[in-house]
Amino acid sequence: MHTDATRAGVPLGRRRFLALSAGGAIAGAAALSGCAMQVSSGVSGSGETVTVMVNSGDILPEQVQQAQKALGIKIALVKYDITKLIAMLTSGSPPDLVRGVGAVDLPFFAARDVAENLDPYFARSSVLKLDDLDPVNDLWRYDGRTQGKGPRYGMAKDFSQDSMYWYNTAAFDKGGLDYPSETEPVTYEEWLDDAKRLVQRKSGQTTVFGGSFNGLTRATLLATMTASAGGSLFSDDFSRVDFTTPEARKALTWYVDYAKTKVGPSLIQPDPNGWDGPTYQAGRMAMSNSGYWMGGMIYPDKKLAQVSRLAPAPLFAGGRRISACQGGTGLWMPRGAKNKDAAWRVFEWFFGEEPAKARASGGWGIPSLKSLRSLMPAQEDYQKRVLRVQEEELKHFSVVSFTPYSRADAIDALFNQIAPAAMNGQISVDTLAGRLNSAINEQLKRGKEQVG
Amino acid sequence: MTVDQLPSRTDRFAAGRARATGARRSRASMTARRHRAFYLFTSPWIIGFLLLTVTPMAYALWLSFTTFDGISPNWKYVGLGNYRELLNDPVTWDSLGRAGLFAVTSVPLSILAGLGLAVLVNRPLKARGLFRTLLYLPAVVPPVGAGLAFKLLFDQNSGASNGVLTFFGIDAVPWLADPYARYVLLMTVLWAAGNVMIISLAGLQDVPKELHEAARIDGASSWRTFRSITVPLLSPVLLFQTVTGMIASVQTIMPLLLAPLGDTSGITTVPQSNYLYMMHVFAQYFALGRYGYASALLWVLFVLILVVTGLIFKFTSGAVFYNVDPEAKKK
Repeated sequence: MHTDATRAGVPLGRRRFLALSAGGAIAGAAALSGCAMQVSSGVSGSGETVTVMVNSGDILPEQVQQAQKALGIKIALVKYDITKLIAMLTSGSPPDLVRGVGAVDLPFFAARDVAENLDPYFARSSVLKLDDLDPVNDLWRYDGRTQGKGPRYGMAKDFSQDSMYWYNTAAFDKGGLDYPSETEPVTYEEWLDDAKRLVQRKSGQTTVFGGSFNGLTRATLLATMTASAGGSLFSDDFSRVDFTTPEARKALTWYVDYAKTKVGPSLIQPDPNGWDGPTYQAGRMAMSNSGYWMGGMIYPDKKLAQVSRLAPAPLFAGGRRISACQGGTGLWMPRGAKNKDAAWRVFEWFFGEEPAKARASGGWGIPSLKSLRSLMPAQEDYQKRVLRVQEEELKHFSVVSFTPYSRADAIDALFNQIAPAAMNGQISVDTLAGRLNSAINEQLKRGKEQVG
Repeated sequence: MTVDQLPSRTDRFAAGRARATGARRSRASMTARRHRAFYLFTSPWIIGFLLLTVTPMAYALWLSFTTFDGISPNWKYVGLGNYRELLNDPVTWDSLGRAGLFAVTSVPLSILAGLGLAVLVNRPLKARGLFRTLLYLPAVVPPVGAGLAFKLLFDQNSGASNGVLTFFGIDAVPWLADPYARYVLLMTVLWAAGNVMIISLAGLQDVPKELHEAARIDGASSWRTFRSITVPLLSPVLLFQTVTGMIASVQTIMPLLLAPLGDTSGITTVPQSNYLYMMHVFAQYFALGRYGYASALLWVLFVLILVVTGLIFKFTSGAVFYNVDPEAKKK
C-alpha cells in the first residue's frame, strides 16, 4: 500500500534523503540570499545604518563614532574588494557607498548603469555646493560617452597631480646634481638622466633608487604620458588603444627604457614595499613620482620634510605641459543602494565636514572643495614651498579621459604580462606595441560588446 | 484446559503470523531508526556539500557557457565557445604545462623530504618532541604569512639571502624574477614539508616492530629493511600523499603571494616560470573579469584532476600494500 511509504517508521530512502537535502540546500541558499539582502535595508533618515565599502584608513573608527554622534547614522564599514563588490552588486545587495578611483572606475561603472546619478542630491545640498566643487570632481562625471561631462556619479575626496614628483635634496647633494626647478618642468629624458646619476648600487644590489616613475596605474601613466607627448592612447570612442602612434610609442619607449636601466622600481625590479612611501622615507629613493598627497606621509617626519621638495610634472621635449590627476579617489553610490538618503547624508559629511577638513589639514592631497584649500598645511617653510609649487602646477591641471570598456586593472594585468619581455630586452618596443594593441583591444572589444 | 479451549491450528497459525509480523515490524522499525540516525548525522555534511560544493560547481558550469563578467548587462550564452577558446589559448597550455612540471617536481621532493624527516624524528633521539615540533611548525604558518616572509627574505635589494651572498663577496641574485623564481617557489613547498612528515611519522609508527626485528635477525641491512618492509607498509600513506599533494600543487596560489604587486592586476606580475594554471585562472577571473572563461578553465582543471587521480590509482594498484587481515575482511 502507498500509505506504508508515508508511515513514520519506514526507512528514509537514499533518493528521498537526497531530494530532501537538495530541498534543504535550496532553502538554505534562499535563506542566505535573503540574509544578504538585509544589508542596509530600511528607509531614509537618521538612526539608519549605511554600509560603506572603503579601504582601511579611508574612514577611521573614531570617525565612525563621530558620524553616529553627529548624524545619528551608523556606518558599517566593509573592506573594499572588487570581487566582493561585484558579488554584492550582482546579488542586489550593494553597499550604500563605495570607494572608487574617479579617473578610471567611474566610466566603467556608469557605463554599466550601476552608479546612481547624484545630480538631484547635489542640487539640494547645502554642504556640497556646485560652485565650490574643484574641477577635479569632473572626473566623476560621465555622459554615456565622455568622462568629464554629464551627470555626477561621485566625488573625489582629495586629489593630486600624479605626474609630479618628490625629490630628496640630500640625495641630489650627494650626487652633485642641481635641484630641479620648482616652476619649470624637466623633460622625461632629463628626469631619467638624473635618476641614472642618483642611483646607487653595490654588489648587484640597488641600495638607493635613483627615481621611481610608475604612475597610479600603468594604464593611466601611459595614457597621461601619451597626452603629454601630444597624442591620445585611446581612439575617439575609447574602444581601442594604439601604442604604435608616434606619441604613444614615445611614451612606451621611455617607460621601457626607465625599466631597462633599473634606476627605480618596475615590473622587473619590484620594490618589496609595494609603493614608494616607505622606501622614500628610508632615504633609499632619490625621486618619487607621487603627487602632493605623499606630503601626508612626509610632513610628520620633520627630518624627512626638511629634505623633501615637490617638482612639476615632467614633459616630453617639444611636448605640451599637462599635469593630470590619475586618481581622484572618492566615493560613489550604487544605483541599487537601499538607503540612499542616509547614504547621501554620510556622503556630505565625508566630503564636506569633519573628515574632509581633517584630510585637508593633514596634507593627504588637495581638497576637492575649493573652500577647504585654506586648510592645506602651510605652517612650516617646507610646507609653504611645497604649496607654492602645487598652486603653480594647478594651472596645468588636465583630465585624461579613460575608456569605459575595461577596468584599469585589466589593462594593467595585460601590460604586466606582456611588457617584461621588452624591459628585459627580449623583444623590441615595436613588437611590444603590437602585442599590447592586440591583447588590450581584444579586452576592450569584449567590454564594448557587454556594455552594448 | 479442555480440548475446546485449545487453540485451533488456524489460531496458532494466526498467532504465529502475528508474532512474525511483529518481529518484522520491530526489525523494520529498528532499520528505520538506524537509517534515520545515519541520515540525520550525515545530513549537515550532505546539505553543506550540496549548498557549498555542488551548487557553486553547477553555477560555474553554467557560467562557463556564457560571457558573464559579473556586472555588465549584455552577457550572452556562447555554448562551448569558452572551451574552444581555451583549446587555442597558448597561455592556457603553457601554464598547464608549468603546473604539471611543478607537480611532478614538488610532490616527490616534498614526500621525500617529509619521509626523510619522519624517519629521523622516529629514531630514539634526545629532545625528539622538540625536533618534531620545530619541523612541523612551518606547516602551521598561514600561506599568506609564509609568502610575505619569503618575499622579504629573497628580495634582491634588501633580502637576507642576498645579504649573506654579498657578505661573502658574491653578487646579489634576483631570486624573485626569472629564472630563479621557480626555485624559491619549490623552497616554499619544501619549507612546509612538516605536513608530509607528520603523516609519514604516523605511518612509520604503525609498522610492526617485530618485522624489523625479524629482518635484523635474518641479517638485512637498514637500507634493505627500509626498502622491503617500511616502504611497502607505508605505501598507502605515500599514495595518499601523492594524490593529495598533486591536487594541492596544481591548485597552489603561492606564486601569487610571491608576486611583486599585491593588487588585482598584480596576478600577472608573477614571473613567467611561476605563472601556473591557477594564476591564469585568477587573472581571468579577477583581473580581466572574464568569469565565463575562467569557469571553463576551472572545469577543465577539475576533469583533469579526476583523470590524473584515476591514473595514479590505476598505475599504483599493484604497488600499494594494504595491511588488512584477510580473515577479518571475509567476516
